Amino acid sequence: MRVTTFTVHIVAALALAGCNDRTGDEPSEAQRGDGSDTVELAEFPDRPYWGDTHLHTDISVDAFGFGVRLGPEAALQFARGEEVTATTGMSAKLDRPLDFLVIADHSDAMGATRRLYDAPRMMVRDPVLRRWYDMMHEGPEQSTRAVAELITAAANDDIPEAMRDPERQAEATRELWDRHLDILDRYNEPGTFTAFAGFEWTLMPGGNNLHRVVMFRDGSAKTREVLPYPGLDGEVTGLWDYMDAYEEATGGQVLAIPHNSNLSNGMMFELTEPDGGAMSAQYARRRAAREPVVEATQIKGDSETHPFLSPNDEFAGFGVAGWDLGNLPLTARSTPDMYAGSYVRSALLRGLTLEEQLGVNPYAFGLIGSTDSHTALATGDEDNFFGKHTGNEPKADRATASQNLGTKQGRFGWHYLAGGYAAAWARGNTRAEIFDAFMRREVYATTGPRMVLRLFAGHDFGEEDWDGDWVRAGYTRGVPMGGELQDTGRAPTFLISALKDPEGANLDRVQVVKGWVDASGTAQEKVYDVAWSARPMDGASDSPVPPLGDTVDRTEATYENSIGAPELRAAWTDPDYRRGERAFYYVRVIEIPTPSWVLFDAKRFGLKLPANVVEANVIQERAYSSPVWLRPEPKPRKTPGDAPPIMSEG
Amino acid sequence: MMRKFLRDPLAHFLIAGAAIWGVFSLTGGEVDPEARTIKLSREQQAGLALAFERTMSRAPTDAELDARIAQWVREEVLYREALRLGLDEGDPVVKLRLATKMDELASAQAELAQPSQGELQVWYREHASAYETGGLLDFEQAYFPTRDAAVAAGGEARPRGEPISLPRNVQGMSGREVGQLFGSEFADGLSRLEASSEWQEPVQSGYGWHLVRVTRRDAGRVPLFEEVRDKVERDWRSRTIAARRDKAYQVLRDAYAIEVE
Repeated sequence: MRVTTFTVHIVAALALAGCNDRTGDEPSEAQRGDGSDTVELAEFPDRPYWGDTHLHTDISVDAFGFGVRLGPEAALQFARGEEVTATTGMSAKLDRPLDFLVIADHSDAMGATRRLYDAPRMMVRDPVLRRWYDMMHEGPEQSTRAVAELITAAANDDIPEAMRDPERQAEATRELWDRHLDILDRYNEPGTFTAFAGFEWTLMPGGNNLHRVVMFRDGSAKTREVLPYPGLDGEVTGLWDYMDAYEEATGGQVLAIPHNSNLSNGMMFELTEPDGGAMSAQYARRRAAREPVVEATQIKGDSETHPFLSPNDEFAGFGVAGWDLGNLPLTARSTPDMYAGSYVRSALLRGLTLEEQLGVNPYAFGLIGSTDSHTALATGDEDNFFGKHTGNEPKADRATASQNLGTKQGRFGWHYLAGGYAAAWARGNTRAEIFDAFMRREVYATTGPRMVLRLFAGHDFGEEDWDGDWVRAGYTRGVPMGGELQDTGRAPTFLISALKDPEGANLDRVQVVKGWVDASGTAQEKVYDVAWSARPMDGASDSPVPPLGDTVDRTEATYENSIGAPELRAAWTDPDYRRGERAFYYVRVIEIPTPSWVLFDAKRFGLKLPANVVEANVIQERAYSSPVWLRPEPKPRKTPGDAPPIMSEG
Repeated sequence: MMRKFLRDPLAHFLIAGAAIWGVFSLTGGEVDPEARTIKLSREQQAGLALAFERTMSRAPTDAELDARIAQWVREEVLYREALRLGLDEGDPVVKLRLATKMDELASAQAELAQPSQGELQVWYREHASAYETGGLLDFEQAYFPTRDAAVAAGGEARPRGEPISLPRNVQGMSGREVGQLFGSEFADGLSRLEASSEWQEPVQSGYGWHLVRVTRRDAGRVPLFEEVRDKVERDWRSRTIAARRDKAYQVLRDAYAIEVE
């Protein structure tokens, strides 16, 4: 009985809310579909489309508790460049609108905190829920604390039954999801702005973050056939089953994007299956097919690599501090042996090793960035950081305060990054075109700045290609980022171009990160500087490309573009190529040093920060391309095993 | 004096109370909302049963319904006693809860409202620029890292410029897209140039300087109301909800004199 009373009332509350929608302005056919045949497409992807695939609104159980009162509609208006009023009362307008948005509210207990909040108190019988209810009503600080308790409870598998039972939630979620899909269609305008349906699947065994963002290609006619899939219990294969079932039933398409592997304590990219048994080819194939892209950078840290894993990489360690202490709620500490399963570069290497054994690479993924903002505002820049959640929207003490997760255990406000964005090379701005770019991994990550990054791999690219139509050459004689190149016995060649963000900082250098499995079966990695801006060569450094210095005024939070370059290009050939070695190559673009959001805050609010915090917040922002994979020529398998002959398919 | 009295919230309660008392004393109805009679109508009982059924997918037994009713009565009794003791006063939870309810009442009204054609047309005229499309440009550009280099090449019949991964020839691009590609500074600079077959003075971008030849400039166009009616209604609705809530609040707010010391 205790359990049912809460549910009764959330149903009743929704029945009331449900009366308010469907008011006649039906979106057009084009807005409701996947956008095929609605806009004229370029011959080749001609520009990157910018988006955030990971935004929370007041439907998310934690975001609402943190205090956000903006819903999906305001989130869409803001991303499109319209002015909205943030929860804490400030007017907010994105000076450069986004091209696409995935609203990814948590599927578990979707809308439940809002319903709990709106329910009459006497109907909330569960003592834990009632406690949270009172805290949420008491004020922002208590509300934030209630959500921290909720996340910890979720991590400890201790969520009140009334909140987690999918059967009881289903009816409430149905109403909410239907209304949500209608709003998305209304704001989806092929050619101008793309609104994707999605949700966040929040699997978190023991507090280890195995979260995925799920993103649909389709409009409401198909997405209405399903409900967001809950994740607090279960396994990732259950999510893939759900995705399979959706595609079979509707003919639509859906993909999943793992994120915050840095908070998984080694569980996101394991060498085994989740139960600890050897990975099967079937599992590897499903993972590769279902999860073509990984979110490598966001507010809760950067997951590219860790200095422990990449000791020779002087740029490793961006956005690692604080986050590498432990899992998401810091209920379990991290140890260095876990890192290889927590960062994407080591995962890409593990993928090569597993492919040698299984014939399939489970970790052949592209890279994107996003925000994971819980404010309904998709801000990604240092000068407009609106906070991880409403509890730390702009205010004086947010940079130095302890975080709600792992309170007083070494994670502070200033460890938050301002968030990243996803860039998709597509032929037009529609659901279908951008989704398909994700599927073929022709996407890249940035930590916020909108650099334009091209990467082509082939067998015969050279400097002379820059004189002609090199984009056409790239697409016709090679493969773009995310593609696969067959080993032909010649060293692979690359065309790489990085343009600075036209509103942002110059570029320091462009690097190629190569990973490969050598003849002895050992995974190796190496970072090559392939293009760099002019710099003083005073002989003080052994490096052929010494540090550039910086122009950052720490107190004013400014910098000068008097160093660095507006564009860096390289026609590059792998100097260490060996025939038959499996390899991946991705590009990392490094900006000149600039002030992070923390220094902007210090300027704005007149903060006195410790010197080490100031120095840690002179940062070099970056972009990560999706890799290109070099695949050995097919050879007969020695042991048949359970792997199908996928190699011969090329 | 009288005016001030009329703005006093106490006066409102007194006047409203007198009016209600007057009406009920004439009709013989219930006078005191806190009277010691608790009545549970047939409809209310049906509501309790329905709520049970929605959750359990079956009707309640008599015993279950009795238990529900007893629970309801218990809460009603305690609720009235709490009011009598003034427990609702000074409780931040109660205060916020009631305020939220009022707010939602106001926005629910706004969400349900059906705009007339006329209202939408007024909105459309006031916000016409938001629906403007086009303003498309054709241009050719040559890039130089510095202004001096650009000026020096300004005399050439067809300046080559330095290599950069930006299109040499651009066709049919909106000002917004030009801004995304070259930076807002360049888009602003370009918007000040007339279409001409001549190369024009250097324009600054996020990358450096550009000699530019703008060969075509389309004026922007505001679509007809009928073409964008859906968008207008969408925007009207989302934007008026907040405004109406504010307005509803303002009406109430105006009845109070606020003194912050």
